[in-house]
Amino acid sequence: MMGLLDKLHSVADTRKALLPPGIDPFNVVIDEIYTSTEASLGGRRVLLAGTNNYLGLTFDQQCIDAAREAILREGTGTTGSRMANGTYAGHRDLEQELAHFYGCSSAIVFSTGFVTNLGIISTLAGPGDVIVLDADSHASIYDACKMSGAEMIRFRHNNLGDLEKKLQRLGERSAKTLIIVEGIYSMLGDCAPLAEIAALKKKYGAWLLVDEAHSMGVLGDRGRGMAEAAGVEQDVDFIVGTFSKSLGAIGGFCVSNHPELDLVRYVCRSYVFTASPSPATIASVREALRVIEANPQLRTKLWANATQLYQGLKQLGFELGPDLSPIVAIRMPTRGKTLLAWKALFDRGIYVNLVFPPAAPAGMSLLRCSVSAAHSSEQINTILRAFAAIQPHLNPSESGVSAPSETAKSGLPREMRS
Amino acid sequence: MMTTPQYDAIFQQVVVLLQEYAPQPVPVHEETELIDDLGFDSLRVMELLHEVEDVFDITYPLNALSDLRTVKDFVLQIQHIVENR
Repeated sequence: MMGLLDKLHSVADTRKALLPPGIDPFNVVIDEIYTSTEASLGGRRVLLAGTNNYLGLTFDQQCIDAAREAILREGTGTTGSRMANGTYAGHRDLEQELAHFYGCSSAIVFSTGFVTNLGIISTLAGPGDVIVLDADSHASIYDACKMSGAEMIRFRHNNLGDLEKKLQRLGERSAKTLIIVEGIYSMLGDCAPLAEIAALKKKYGAWLLVDEAHSMGVLGDRGRGMAEAAGVEQDVDFIVGTFSKSLGAIGGFCVSNHPELDLVRYVCRSYVFTASPSPATIASVREALRVIEANPQLRTKLWANATQLYQGLKQLGFELGPDLSPIVAIRMPTRGKTLLAWKALFDRGIYVNLVFPPAAPAGMSLLRCSVSAAHSSEQINTILRAFAAIQPHLNPSESGVSAPSETAKSGLPREMRS
Repeated sequence: MMTTPQYDAIFQQVVVLLQEYAPQPVPVHEETELIDDLGFDSLRVMELLHEVEDVFDITYPLNALSDLRTVKDFVLQIQHIVENR
């Protein structure tokens, strides 16, 4: 009979098969972080190209000062939920400022982006309702849908025909249907066709929630995200987002013009039963919102960097995600080559994300880069030079080794070199 | 249990799809298990579901996956959805 922990032993077996001794890209320790683009990892100074720190605000002086002052004024934590311990003035003010930023009537703040989705989605939809979600949705959305008890229907990623077919089949039930999509998808960096999705939502009388985790601060004239960029903010019922990317902190939020959003806080378990965001977090996020509003040039720089990296990698012949965005994903032929490439880049002082399925969609293995407004053009060139250096070793059609020389010494199993 | 002509027709189509999508090429029977026998993982199951939805012109709710173990379970689920659409 299976023991309680046997399921974890299979994880160990998988890890052993995938990762040679001494290499664990999923458990990297940052010894020291110098700036939003440079750190020391494993005793090596590296250029960070996989942080989601889109606007580079983790080291913004105004945000740091605001956080420092908040700690001195209000302490390090709230030690409980807002229901039990009370709402700090900063929580209230941040919600008002977020609502103002989005031009919405209501906002609610959560302690992380993940629990924002868990809480909002599982509270909005329940048994008897239907959720129609994009196939490439984030794990927090899948978990939230499961928790909700609603009927869960998946449509093919960004496939409007499949979405419409599914809404059509629902008939009158579409009035109790919540469509969930993301502005920019986290792994491939591709964008939702939100104008068309919003049109379908209206046509079938459904509801629409957009997760702007990777698009807030990145898209739209004011940085509000894909709904703003697509000109459909009035048709989106709920926008959720995170503080942990463009805003450089941790936490999440939901904004809406539906007055019922304020009632969510009384019944949403991940709001009621979680310690509220710390004073430092709240203060730095409030400041980051001001920085975003006052500095649209940050987005200009971000997109210039994204364009430089995307076009540069494309010219080198790498197979990339379909859309130009600050998330630049390189599709790799095999898991083994992905790992070799990740290690070779790391050895050249470049840190990117290694993504294996099921975290990557459609069974793909990816090297995932995310660029920041804080990257200099020269840093982007350094990243490109590193990719150019490892590229010949990854092409099976070329003679020679199947991995960069320094990586070959790491003792990868034979099956990972194919 | 007696099967119906509709069940048999769906079963035949499902067998063809499973043989196409199953990671492990083993003979498919009613009691064959999708994970333990055919080696399906979560990603492969999703690909299979998309195909099933197209072939039978149905929507398969993900909630039904928790009750899915054998090929027979799968065929009965599809039959139920087809008959209630």
